Amino acid sequence: MATETNQETGKLEFFLDVPFPSSGEATVALRSLSPDREPRRGGISKRLSVSGSTLSVRWSADEARVLRVSVNSFLDHLSLVVETMELFGPPVDL
Amino acid sequence: MTVVIGFEGSANKIGIGIIRDGEVLSNPRRTYITPPGQGFMPSDTARHHRAVILTVLKEALEQAGLKPADIDCVAYTKGPGMGAPLVTVALVARTVAQLWGKPLLGVNHCIGHIEMGRLITQANNPTVLYVSGGNTQVIAYLERRYRIFGETIDIAVGNCLDRFARVIKISNDPSPGYNIEQMAKKGSRYVELPYTVKGMDVSFSGILSFIEETVFAMLVEITERAMAHCGSQEVLIVGGVGCNLRLQEMMGVMCKERGAKLFATDERFCIDNGAMIAQAGWEMFRSGYVTELEDSWITQRYRTDEVEVTWRD
Repeated sequence: MATETNQETGKLEFFLDVPFPSSGEATVALRSLSPDREPRRGGISKRLSVSGSTLSVRWSADEARVLRVSVNSFLDHLSLVVETMELFGPPVDL
Repeated sequence: MTVVIGFEGSANKIGIGIIRDGEVLSNPRRTYITPPGQGFMPSDTARHHRAVILTVLKEALEQAGLKPADIDCVAYTKGPGMGAPLVTVALVARTVAQLWGKPLLGVNHCIGHIEMGRLITQANNPTVLYVSGGNTQVIAYLERRYRIFGETIDIAVGNCLDRFARVIKISNDPSPGYNIEQMAKKGSRYVELPYTVKGMDVSFSGILSFIEETVFAMLVEITERAMAHCGSQEVLIVGGVGCNLRLQEMMGVMCKERGAKLFATDERFCIDNGAMIAQAGWEMFRSGYVTELEDSWITQRYRTDEVEVTWRD
């Protein structure tokens, strides 16, 4: 889980894979965490996706400091979502 | 029967409330209070909300005697407000909406205040003075929009009061504004300071060394001007500064002179709370509004007149 520099774009990249008990729960997390936009400064972007029961996040940033803030922030948000799911889950079947 | 749960956390209060057809079933709230001389910063406020939000959510359900299955809609504050706290609250709202299989609804914070004021006071079609730490607007409803007739051209009146309290190190417990009001009651000398009204609007940043009399008189003037324009005979004061009895008294004098009626709510509902978001959500949900998850991003800027008010004619 190390940061790498993309040789083509020169940007720093960071990948995170978060396992969930089911693809349904990974999708709940995805849909809770993806709507808010990243603050505009620092050339930071992140992309979330679900594959099987894993939530994957890919970051791309110009500066290490901005990347660090975004990743820390995401981990705080992720832990809140997971804690909410633990208290009020599992998802109802629709 | 429609039951809506509302999540609010755009400033230093975190509240979650449940409304069933005009009845407030529960409305627990916690306030992040900083030491005297300090204001509240976004990341610390978000951390405070994060620490208590799930407890407050459980309280809201328990006090209402409801289970998640009883809820029809999950409403949350889309904006305006501070970014980090707004996100913290939106995350939980989005998550429980999905877990419980309920539709989500993003609510404008200012409209939450207005709809709560209308519900509690049963005012028919009032001119609204919305005054809080983050907002100062004079609002009138016209043709499906809450029109902003006048507003601050710089800072909110509550922000002005809070910053003054900080300078003289008044306690922030329970709120700086409340403590200013208590001290002002013991005052007897009026000091004339800059009174800044520009037509429909007001300015507060130049007069941080003010006292209540001047600031509140400015607000009464612009409210009266909006009433004259709209031919309105009702005034509703909402927002945290609306708790101030001196403001209510001064507004009352103006209303009496015009033969108009004054409406206000108590601190349970004029200070930010979850039930007001639930109430606005209740109105919006029943008139067909829903927020898709992908569109449920929060926003620090969200003007009161951006929302189409489909639930009033």
